[in-house]
Amino acid sequence: MVPVTATLVPPPVTGVRRAGPAGLRGWIVGGLRDTPRRLAAVLAGLVALGFVVGVVGFTGVRQRSDLIDGVTSRSGALVVAAQNLYRALSDADATAASAFLSGGVEPAAQRDRYKQGVTDAAAALTVIAAGRSGDGARDGAVEVIAAELPVYTGLIETARAYNRQGLPVGAAYLREASGLMRQRMLPAAQQLYQSVAAELDRTRGGGAGFPWIAVLLGLVAIAGLVRTQIWLTRRTNRLFNIGLVGATAAAVVLVGWLGVSAVVIGTRLDASDRDGSAQVDRLVQARVAALQARADESLTLVARGAGGDFDKDYTAVMGRLIGPDGRGGLLRDAADRAADEPTRAAADSAAGRARDWLAAHQKLRQLDDSGQYTEAVTAAVGSDPAATTSIFNELDGTLAGAITRNSDRFEADARSAGRGLSGVDVGVVVLAGLMLIGAAAGIQRRIAEYR
Amino acid sequence: MNASRLISAAVALTVTLGLAGCGGGGGTLPAGTSAVAPVRPVGVQDPADIPDGANAGPASCDPRASLRPAVTQPRPGQMPAGSTMAQILHRGRLIVGVDQNSYRFGFRAPLTGELTGFDVDVAREVARAIFGDPSKIQFRATNSAARIPSLQDGTVDIVVQTMTMNCERWQQVNFSTEYFTAGQRILVRRGSPVRGIADLGGQKVCSAIGSTSIRNVAAAPAKPLPVGVPDWTDCLVMLQQNQVAAVSTDDSILAGLAAQDPNAVVVGPRFSDEPYGIGINRDATDLVRFVNGVLAQLRADGTWTRLYTRWLTALGPAPQPPTARYRD
Repeated sequence: MVPVTATLVPPPVTGVRRAGPAGLRGWIVGGLRDTPRRLAAVLAGLVALGFVVGVVGFTGVRQRSDLIDGVTSRSGALVVAAQNLYRALSDADATAASAFLSGGVEPAAQRDRYKQGVTDAAAALTVIAAGRSGDGARDGAVEVIAAELPVYTGLIETARAYNRQGLPVGAAYLREASGLMRQRMLPAAQQLYQSVAAELDRTRGGGAGFPWIAVLLGLVAIAGLVRTQIWLTRRTNRLFNIGLVGATAAAVVLVGWLGVSAVVIGTRLDASDRDGSAQVDRLVQARVAALQARADESLTLVARGAGGDFDKDYTAVMGRLIGPDGRGGLLRDAADRAADEPTRAAADSAAGRARDWLAAHQKLRQLDDSGQYTEAVTAAVGSDPAATTSIFNELDGTLAGAITRNSDRFEADARSAGRGLSGVDVGVVVLAGLMLIGAAAGIQRRIAEYR
Repeated sequence: MNASRLISAAVALTVTLGLAGCGGGGGTLPAGTSAVAPVRPVGVQDPADIPDGANAGPASCDPRASLRPAVTQPRPGQMPAGSTMAQILHRGRLIVGVDQNSYRFGFRAPLTGELTGFDVDVAREVARAIFGDPSKIQFRATNSAARIPSLQDGTVDIVVQTMTMNCERWQQVNFSTEYFTAGQRILVRRGSPVRGIADLGGQKVCSAIGSTSIRNVAAAPAKPLPVGVPDWTDCLVMLQQNQVAAVSTDDSILAGLAAQDPNAVVVGPRFSDEPYGIGINRDATDLVRFVNGVLAQLRADGTWTRLYTRWLTALGPAPQPPTARYRD
């Protein structure tokens, strides 16, 4: 790039050039004095500069427009799919565990929820697999989940078949399935999510980048035009050359438009990040944490006295969700940084439900620890509105609604950023064309005066 | 420099930039999928970590000999002041370590979620003797490895869980008199040529971590490869998934596994002697004597035979209950 621009600097104002570049000799009729020859050279320089500015500006705008498109259509969609995958797998795990507590034949609603989780996971996986990146770690994670999902569902169905016959080996299949989910599939899903989220950040960074090269070239063109005009004014004692003034104006508008549009887009993309995807990320993390805590609660009861590790995990996960005092954690963060009132209200209400859940869970644990196991199970999976099932379902529903709301906002912000570039590509070409015409017309007139 | 050269430079620039915008997406598919490691039960040890039996206890130990019950057994609800039983009575429930994965001995009935089985019913009889009510009981599921630690730290009052009495364990906990007699055998897939532990040299054999069975497998002269899992049903899963060649433990437990899978059969002779006792904390000798009193009554009044018939007829008709042996 740099060598090209160096050759475009207009020739020096003073000093006689004995011979111009060889090619110009044939083009300009020999015998003319130095000034027209120099004017022709200046014209060639300005035309080339204007052409390059137009081309660089146009391709740059197109490129950024594609990147921003990518933010919404590719990276954004991948992030949503990865979130869905992570959430759906956690959901299937939590539901399978609590269905087990409900007895041999699980309630239809729980079976439906489990099936929905598996279906959602498979659908999300298809989207992610279609957007394979060639990134080894990510493709490896997709491969793990794609290979293990049918294995997982097979183990769950084996567990169900044994449970229906009243045989305890069903519980062993359930444990194996849950172990597969927690030790291999969920870590892969999390890795996948982090990988696509990082890609979204990179794409966004590219889309929001300032078009330095085009703007610098434009500034060089403006400087060239101004300098040419000063030189011509000195030579010809005419104050203005309409063509060159027009060309200068076109160049200034072009540079200004490029710069301003870039700043506007950057701001909108930042907003899509801050108010959209970052907020969705916090809410998704909160929802996954709630699902994990739900699975922990069920698995503690399934382990029946040997589930100390699950209960510890429950406490840790709930701490992450609402903080050790019930007033912090992911949900506090989500409320504090909410971009709108409904999201703030949803996060606050979810935090309230999580505190209720913690209180109900502690009662449930007391029941279990004092030997009232059946009552503890009822408190966990019963149909009573005070049972932790109902509280958890409300919490989950609230978070799901807030996630949808903020995903929509993210998409809207990213689309509006894309609109910030609409027309800029054509505008750049038109303005560069005006600059060329203006410069050509202005200088051609002066050359003609020497004929 | 002439105009055409400038134009060609600009075109070259355009082409370069244009291509850069296309990104480097190739048309080739990624390489074929690599094999994912087989799924295994959580907590599996392959090869199993076998603790050495350094403190095997005095050679003269009779593992079946326990403490003699009091001449008159306390009546339900009226435990001697200051006794371990009085503390349990005061608490309002007996805390019992049981298995929830040993079919017919201690298992969770999937349809009701209730713990049931021979061991569970024996434990209920102990609760009945203390409270006059077999439901004043709290079960804590313990796997094989957790039995002795739970007794030592007082998490449970008694352990009724297919627990073999041996001299090494007598050093750590107390046992009641023998309430069931088992011996170790082999479970294989139907059609397997294996007829005993001697045929399993170099092959994987599954047992529960912390059981006497896994030590017997490790010590077998044929040198099978022991694989440890937390629960007995995990062994059946591994056998069904072709991850082990056989399961080896007490015939009582194996019969429970075979009953869940018509394609699994118990083969070969017993190659060990496994007397089951109720595990009790080492300091609670009063509770040992009390429990032995309860067992003596179960043997005498036919309850033992009734419970055996209820749960274990698959093992054959109810034998005579094991005779109590006392060391004092």
